[in-house]
Amino acid sequence: MDQPRTDEDQQLVARTQSGDAAAFDQLVVKYTPRLYGLVYNMTSNHEDTNDLLQDVFSKAYKAIRGFRGKSSFYTWIHSIAVNMTLNFLKKRGRRYHLSLDDVDASIQNDKEFLELTATSSPVREADLSELQKRLNEAMMKLSDEHRAVVTMFHIQGMPHAEISKILRVSEGTVRSRLFYANRQLQNYLDEFRKNPVA
Amino acid sequence: MDEFNDNEIGKLLRLKKFEQPPPGYFDNFLHEFHRRQRDEMLREPLWRICLQRAQDFMFRLNVPALTSYPVAAAALFVCAAIVSLKVYQGPETPTNVAVQNRPAFSAPANVEGEWTLASPVATRFFTAQPIRKSNESARAHRAAAPPRYVLDSVPVSYETAFRF
Repeated sequence: MDQPRTDEDQQLVARTQSGDAAAFDQLVVKYTPRLYGLVYNMTSNHEDTNDLLQDVFSKAYKAIRGFRGKSSFYTWIHSIAVNMTLNFLKKRGRRYHLSLDDVDASIQNDKEFLELTATSSPVREADLSELQKRLNEAMMKLSDEHRAVVTMFHIQGMPHAEISKILRVSEGTVRSRLFYANRQLQNYLDEFRKNPVA
Repeated sequence: MDEFNDNEIGKLLRLKKFEQPPPGYFDNFLHEFHRRQRDEMLREPLWRICLQRAQDFMFRLNVPALTSYPVAAAALFVCAAIVSLKVYQGPETPTNVAVQNRPAFSAPANVEGEWTLASPVATRFFTAQPIRKSNESARAHRAAAPPRYVLDSVPVSYETAFRF
């Protein structure tokens, strides 16, 4: 995933720090889709994602005067989003229900989707909504920290180094969490393969 | 293929990016953000809003940069303090002279270091040692020396003394 131009972000941050609220609006518009994907795939609930995202930007706006540019705005706002989501998930515990967004129709033209449906029998046999449900269930069985790493690496396409900066852990820890999470997901999805209608 | 490998899991997970919120969600998000900000502001107490505004103002003035001259600021403060002290103690000087000319109102030396916010004249009056009254002073002088009677420093008579 291409990272946004940091010099443009720096200008917008500087303008926000000098009191230009419209500059922060531009940052909100720019980062909302990206952060929505991050938070949504960690919570699997649209309403929670919306509330969290509002809180994330509100917190960022209040804290932006303390932002000194040691990291990029991209890393900084992602750190806020991940930490707030992890805190929310700890409070929520296991009391959750899936509130999933619709799958965009453009998936039918996606190259990877076509490859998967052509080669993988479990995917081919399952309809889209069932596959979506299974994937999200499998994701929700991961611990919050593992889900965060999987979301950032597989879904958002972030490199290990960026994830380690956001989570403030070593790259080795990121790789280790990713390996463990992949094994777990593999086990859950194999159950689905063996018993697709369960 | 019987089992999912890492590559397939990655591909499957990447399909989750096709899960999208309802149409128009991102367009309305900013409007919702502004509405929530206004609601938060209304819920905040007035003093916090004022504090926030003050912080904003200070930030725009770049006050932290100004604090890089603490020595100058301290020197200015000290100078102002000294000048104000001098101005305040100014009227005391003629009083001191007058007091020194009159022994009855002379203050002890250690009182010089003391100062209060009260009038300096009043301070001298109340902190001075007990005043010796002028008639007491004269009485003491009389007891020490025998009485002499001199009339205008002129001898009583220029006549020669009687010789018998």
